[in-house]
Amino acid sequence: MLKAFLQNTWKHRAHVVLALPVFLVLFFIMYVPMAGLVLAFKSFDYSKGIFGSPWVGLSNFQFLIQSKDTFISMTKNTVLYYLLFTAVGTLLNVTLAIAIDQLVMKKFAKITQTLMIIPVFISYAAVQFIVYAFIASDTGLINNTLGTNIRFYSRANYWPWILLIVKIWKDTGYGSVLYMSVLSGIDTSLYEAADIDGANKWQQIWNITLPSLIPMVTVMLLLSVGNIMRSDTGLFYQVTRNSGILYPTTQVIDSYVLNQIFRNSNFGFTAATSFFQSVVGLLLMIFANFMVRKIEPENALF
Amino acid sequence: MAKKYSVTASRKIGPGQIVLAFCVLLFTVFCFAPVLLVFISSFADETYIVQHGFSFFPGKWSTFGFNSVLRYGNKLLVSYGVTIFVTVVGTFLGLLMMSMYAYSISRHDFKLSKFLSIFLLIPMLFNGGQLSGYLIFTGTYGLKDSLLLLILPLCVTTMNCIILRTYIANSIPYELMEAATIDGAGDYRTFFQITLPLMKPSLAAVGFMMATAYWNDWQNALLYITSDNKKPLQLLLINIQKSIEFLLNNSNVPASARAAMGGTIPQYSATMATVVVVIGPIMIVYPFFQKYFVKGLTVGSVKG
Repeated sequence: MLKAFLQNTWKHRAHVVLALPVFLVLFFIMYVPMAGLVLAFKSFDYSKGIFGSPWVGLSNFQFLIQSKDTFISMTKNTVLYYLLFTAVGTLLNVTLAIAIDQLVMKKFAKITQTLMIIPVFISYAAVQFIVYAFIASDTGLINNTLGTNIRFYSRANYWPWILLIVKIWKDTGYGSVLYMSVLSGIDTSLYEAADIDGANKWQQIWNITLPSLIPMVTVMLLLSVGNIMRSDTGLFYQVTRNSGILYPTTQVIDSYVLNQIFRNSNFGFTAATSFFQSVVGLLLMIFANFMVRKIEPENALF
Repeated sequence: MAKKYSVTASRKIGPGQIVLAFCVLLFTVFCFAPVLLVFISSFADETYIVQHGFSFFPGKWSTFGFNSVLRYGNKLLVSYGVTIFVTVVGTFLGLLMMSMYAYSISRHDFKLSKFLSIFLLIPMLFNGGQLSGYLIFTGTYGLKDSLLLLILPLCVTTMNCIILRTYIANSIPYELMEAATIDGAGDYRTFFQITLPLMKPSLAAVGFMMATAYWNDWQNALLYITSDNKKPLQLLLINIQKSIEFLLNNSNVPASARAAMGGTIPQYSATMATVVVVIGPIMIVYPFFQKYFVKGLTVGSVKG
């Protein structure tokens, strides 16, 4: 058994060599930091590094419970934004893909699609300036057009909407590309048959197009579930200009952690939060995959 | 790929199509207008922006913005150099390594490939997070202020590996690679001379996505880069924003200090011109790669 396996590996040693570089990069860049999560149970000492620092048991988590207001607020924001972005995003991506696919004027479809994808290629460091041009209180386009003087950067209640709009603006065009590749693979004879049977366009979309998109939607949702505790850091850190007044509605776990790294403080609390973040992501992913497997084994990730 | 029924059988352009086209057009305007605003503002007259705000129709045009950008001079050139270096090296390295890996695990009779697939998948499920990564890279590895930290973290991603493997599995006939082996080509030769050239559409699509990720990466730069001669473009943008903020929050900065900052006091049109200079190259290159997107970015089964 083992001998056969070793023989097989030796026979394919070229494949082992070819796989080695990525293996090493993944090991040092992804796997070692996973082990670094033990920091949640340690008291960090710079001179000794993560692995040499003394163990402190669960005291970091006690700290987390003590300052639960911060913790609850940012966890709530993280999860709610995830739900909002995923729901609205998926809906819009699918709608847009179908809309473009249905267009008869292919040239027009092509050009509009090209323009729609552009925002995804703009970094948040740059997006931040674009958003500023629209919502600045004195020179902003919105205030000047409406003749108002709303100070968006100090009013937390506007930000869920602003962030949602920015997210839609940035990701929808590109997000639909993936679904378009599925649509272009649908067997056209299905539509022909439906047409002959007298099905109208809406019935065709409902009965042929949507069902064929479901596997891809499931895969994308599954892939994103593991990131429920993670966020598009740039959106929350750059676009909000990391402004403290806005934290009640904009602070997410990832931007909090980033801030703590820069402040070089509070590593115990932050490590406990990170640990929580990683473990919850993993559990949700396994759970979601388990559910999908029950319902439609074909669509499960693993 | 089969031709679409909606194309072949589409009769005249009915009212439904016009409404649909109008909606798509509206969304396109929503997506593109902000980009346009940046370009327009970079050519707008500074005093006009101060008085009337940003506008799609600035009453007065000027090249003042771009002149100010030129005053960044060396700083801008260095940042451009750093960004281009990181982007080119990272993308090439990543594409090569990931296609090697994808080829390796796509081989059915290679027993270890099952393990390698799982090894690839786990980082997508479980992740050490930013803090742990930061402390390990800077502490345990002792990498500080190093360009390696701009290149390596974005170099290999599970998703891109899967896309490349899907492409090998779906679009390159397995028999072709087998035939090459039978004809006496070794594994390396089969990969470099048969498989790799055939992966072009997928390499183009993934490569472009990687290149934009490198070009746009601000987070690693902000975390790890401290010295001036290693600052990429995105960090330059962030620094401009910080100095704007500094001036806004400290209205009592003495005139002498302001003077000392000289030409670096950011102004609206100049800031927008800098944004144009930073995002411009991607906008120019992007249309050449777009045709590969649908073809080359198919995500297949994640399971091995």
